[in-house]
Amino acid sequence: MDGVALLNLAVTGLVQGLLIGLAALAVSLCFAIARFPNAATGDFMTLGAYAGVAVQGWTGSLLTGAAAGVAVVAAVSLASYGLVFRHFRGRSLVAPLIASIGLAFLLRSVLTFLVGFDQQSFRVPVARALVFGGVRIRPMDLWLMAFSVATLAVVLAVLFLTPVGRRMRAVADNPELARASGIRSRPVMITLWTLIGVCSAVGGVMLGLRTVVVPEMGWNILLPAFAAAVLGGVGNPAGAVLAGIGLGLAEALSTPLVGFTYQSSIAFVVLILTLVLRPQGLLGRAEAVR
Amino acid sequence: MSLIRLTRRAALTAGGAVLVATLPGRGARAADSPYRVAALNPVTGAGSTYGGGMQKSILFALEEVKKAGGVDGRPIEVYAEDTQTSPDAAVLAVRKLIDANKVQAILGTWSSSVSLAVQPITNAAGCLLFHVSSAPALSAPAQNPKHLGFRFQAGSPQIGAAYAEIAAKQGAKNVAVMAFNNDVQIASTTVFKAAWDKTGNKLAGSVVYEPNRTSYSAELQRVLGTKPDLIVVSGYVPDTTIILREAFEAGNTAPIIIPGWAWSPAVQKAVGPEALEGLIVFDSVPDSEGAAFKTYDAGYRAAMGVAGVNNVYASMAYDMGIVLALAMQKAGAAADNAAISAAVLEIAGPAGQKVTSFAEGKMALKASQKINYEGASGPLDFDANGDAISVFGVNKFHNGTLERLYLLK
Repeated sequence: MDGVALLNLAVTGLVQGLLIGLAALAVSLCFAIARFPNAATGDFMTLGAYAGVAVQGWTGSLLTGAAAGVAVVAAVSLASYGLVFRHFRGRSLVAPLIASIGLAFLLRSVLTFLVGFDQQSFRVPVARALVFGGVRIRPMDLWLMAFSVATLAVVLAVLFLTPVGRRMRAVADNPELARASGIRSRPVMITLWTLIGVCSAVGGVMLGLRTVVVPEMGWNILLPAFAAAVLGGVGNPAGAVLAGIGLGLAEALSTPLVGFTYQSSIAFVVLILTLVLRPQGLLGRAEAVR
Repeated sequence: MSLIRLTRRAALTAGGAVLVATLPGRGARAADSPYRVAALNPVTGAGSTYGGGMQKSILFALEEVKKAGGVDGRPIEVYAEDTQTSPDAAVLAVRKLIDANKVQAILGTWSSSVSLAVQPITNAAGCLLFHVSSAPALSAPAQNPKHLGFRFQAGSPQIGAAYAEIAAKQGAKNVAVMAFNNDVQIASTTVFKAAWDKTGNKLAGSVVYEPNRTSYSAELQRVLGTKPDLIVVSGYVPDTTIILREAFEAGNTAPIIIPGWAWSPAVQKAVGPEALEGLIVFDSVPDSEGAAFKTYDAGYRAAMGVAGVNNVYASMAYDMGIVLALAMQKAGAAADNAAISAAVLEIAGPAGQKVTSFAEGKMALKASQKINYEGASGPLDFDANGDAISVFGVNKFHNGTLERLYLLK
């Protein structure tokens, strides 16, 4: 296995990692601020992809489709907060976790009832990859990388550079103290669930562009997303993104050693090792959101 | 489409077991105990493209049997049920069919996961299971000890041999293989490799890949690195879609062979004509010139409003009804399932006078002739394991459509 082959694997892993990073960011934001692991994240992604495909079909524009995907998922995400998760405030994380699993199944059932199980796809031109000194980069992957990096930057900027982001971090750090300091939870939660929706939808559209749009697509990426969220330090969004990229790279670069059958298990191994050896995650508590 | 599905499902759940038809044989005495049959098909779920047509085809096949005077001394009753293409739902349906409806034969399970889940129950109950699933385990002696299971399409050995034969016809010398990680696809590619070795040609590389990956670039990188002049991809629709697209993007020019069950209009839409040019797709084809096919086609058009050639599994389901009735006729009115199972091999083997309908077969059997039913789905000669032997149509994607190259018999 020479350097060029490894670089090619690294490109594959990087795109995969950015995708996992987006999903992990949605999981991690929810865990940091709403304080439960949201198992419906995967189905938010699926929903975003289906909405994108449908709107692209009507309008013929991929960009409009992607924007519609983001809008639909942000709306569903806000609705899930207003109708479901709001009522679990102050309860242990088990209750909202179970509710989110239920929501995941509900979303998928409604989706398959309306559109069926048949595979759908975005209409994008298929083109030969660009070759730079033996390293192949698909034009689509360049776009996907640009869009996911932009989304990650926007979400992290909202979190770390804006007043509402500061309030979100305050709630994440200590909800009681935040309330005592006069931070109202409603605007924080509305921003949070919008951001979760945006991350999930962009991730879902990316996943759909890269693969095919099927009802289980989001659910299948949930495990790597959870693994990345844990690896990055539970409740640490920036760490989750880094961990997601690392996980994608690890999966792709491990194939010469472990083969193709076991690359999917890398996420499990990482999850277990992190929990055993470094339960505070890569970046640890000291740098967690606050 | 969703509307139709809704009404179908509503009809099935509301009615529970729909007693579709009671078909007493002519001259049946009241004392004759009926033989109860289930048409258990994927009417909803992933198999819904085929399931509704399969169920209708079993029903009109048995209607044809009834019109031809039925099986002597043995009226047939049919119960229609939906598997929802889900093992859980199928197991519940089978329990109900066997325990409450007392069915003795289950016809028309489609996906391997469903047939594998159902088979232990039908075996324990001594019930026949006619299916179209490709899992090799279904006809393995350990899982099918009493030969109650019959597969109405090609099994892995025939599919693997077909890959090798097509590759040889393409003049390939250096073939690479990508197999989806499950026992059906791995068994097919194992047979392929053995057959390919015998031709003296080279196997460039072989990769087993996982389902539900977001990219198969790493797998393709390994395969394309071996510079194959032909690639066999043995998988299903979603993974094959991604592989075909990424193979083109990665600069592949070698032709790719895929099985028909990994092909659909959705693949064409997602990958596009340029990247698909030269793709080879092979699939079981019904014997569209045969008399049995013409009867089936007429019935299918009447029931479904479209040509029977659109649903190869429905032609197999039609054959299930006719084969069962002919085997019952051969085995006699008092026969149990062991005798009926043995009779299937006698009426649908390679030897004997060719018959193409129940009426023709019944007449020949009454004249004590040995018969060989030639079905709508193909010659339908079962091997000793109970697997049918298919005729494959080999097609090439050219200028935006699939063109038939030749038939592989």
